[in-house]
Amino acid sequence: MKKPSTSLVHILIGKSILETLLVGTLAVFTYITILPPYFHGWGEITETGVSGWAVNHAEPWARVEIQLFIDGRFIAQSVANKSRPDVLAAGWSKDEWHGYVIPISSLAQGTHEARVYALHHSGEGARKSLQLLGSPIPFSIDANGKPVGAGH
Amino acid sequence: MVARQTDMENVTADAFSRGLAMWEIASVVTSCLIAEWVVLSFAGRSKLITAIPIGLALGLMFYSHRHRRESLREIGFRTDNFFAACRLLLLPTAVALLVIIVTGWLLNHTLLTGGFRSRFLWLPLWALLQQYALNGFINRRAQHALGKGIKSVILVALVFGLLHLPNPLLAIVTLIGGIVWAAAYQRQPNLFALSLSHAAVSLALAMTISPSLLNSLRVGFKYFG
Repeated sequence: MKKPSTSLVHILIGKSILETLLVGTLAVFTYITILPPYFHGWGEITETGVSGWAVNHAEPWARVEIQLFIDGRFIAQSVANKSRPDVLAAGWSKDEWHGYVIPISSLAQGTHEARVYALHHSGEGARKSLQLLGSPIPFSIDANGKPVGAGH
Repeated sequence: MVARQTDMENVTADAFSRGLAMWEIASVVTSCLIAEWVVLSFAGRSKLITAIPIGLALGLMFYSHRHRRESLREIGFRTDNFFAACRLLLLPTAVALLVIIVTGWLLNHTLLTGGFRSRFLWLPLWALLQQYALNGFINRRAQHALGKGIKSVILVALVFGLLHLPNPLLAIVTLIGGIVWAAAYQRQPNLFALSLSHAAVSLALAMTISPSLLNSLRVGFKYFG
């Protein structure tokens, strides 16, 4: 066997660079596919529960599926399809039907945190991912069992 | 003085060559791991993307053979020692087949659990490709770096086992198979005989051991899917 020269080293380095690029490209592509930066929304605490709006800017006419988690536990799934003319007026959506209201019940008295996520399907339905809409919503349950926003 | 300097240069060149051989092994193993773990988890079962790391590994192997001036005969694509290699592999292959068949019988109380599938017809070719990469390339580079014998044989077997993780049973079987095939290759380098032995064992595993036990021979990220 002939002794190798530096050209083999160059080939090995070139191959490593190509593989790094491949892995990096796949990682970025997968990140964008699974967690596309198209979802926008907001949520707040009302007397009955959590209400807000959700829009998918990649499909502005589609209704976004959402999931509510409180203190890290799944509470409910819904579709943001209720009337929110203020969202349309503010230019966030193409029509007004992007609102949601999810009632909260049977929570212990004290402070809690709600998170509303947009449910995204990718890979022809094989993958599902959740994207946080807005910020986590701190709230508390008062003595009457009603939710009260942290700002109230 | 000049002779001493030449000796030093030779020692350095040898160390460089051995280090490079280990790097070549690491590079081919990395490509396989990328295909098994990264591509499958990120890009699904896209054959086109899987072909990229596999193509890069094959390209490196072909270039390396050419660069080191290795002939097809040296690599093991030859017929003159076919029967000698078969004789060497006959007993371990027969023992492996017997163990697999008896294990399958004891576990399932039947001989054929997996059933024959048309893709099994590709087994000899698939086995030849694997044996080429494992022994025609990795074993040769391992021998170059560590010398002929137990160290290089163990390295080849460990690589073969590693590439079959996280399937625990398959990793153990391939570790043992890797030892046998690497040792046989070092005595009689014939890839056709090795691929026949490899295909026979794979076919026996696929047809007699319950697919649930071997997870249908899945490896890498596919193991979880």
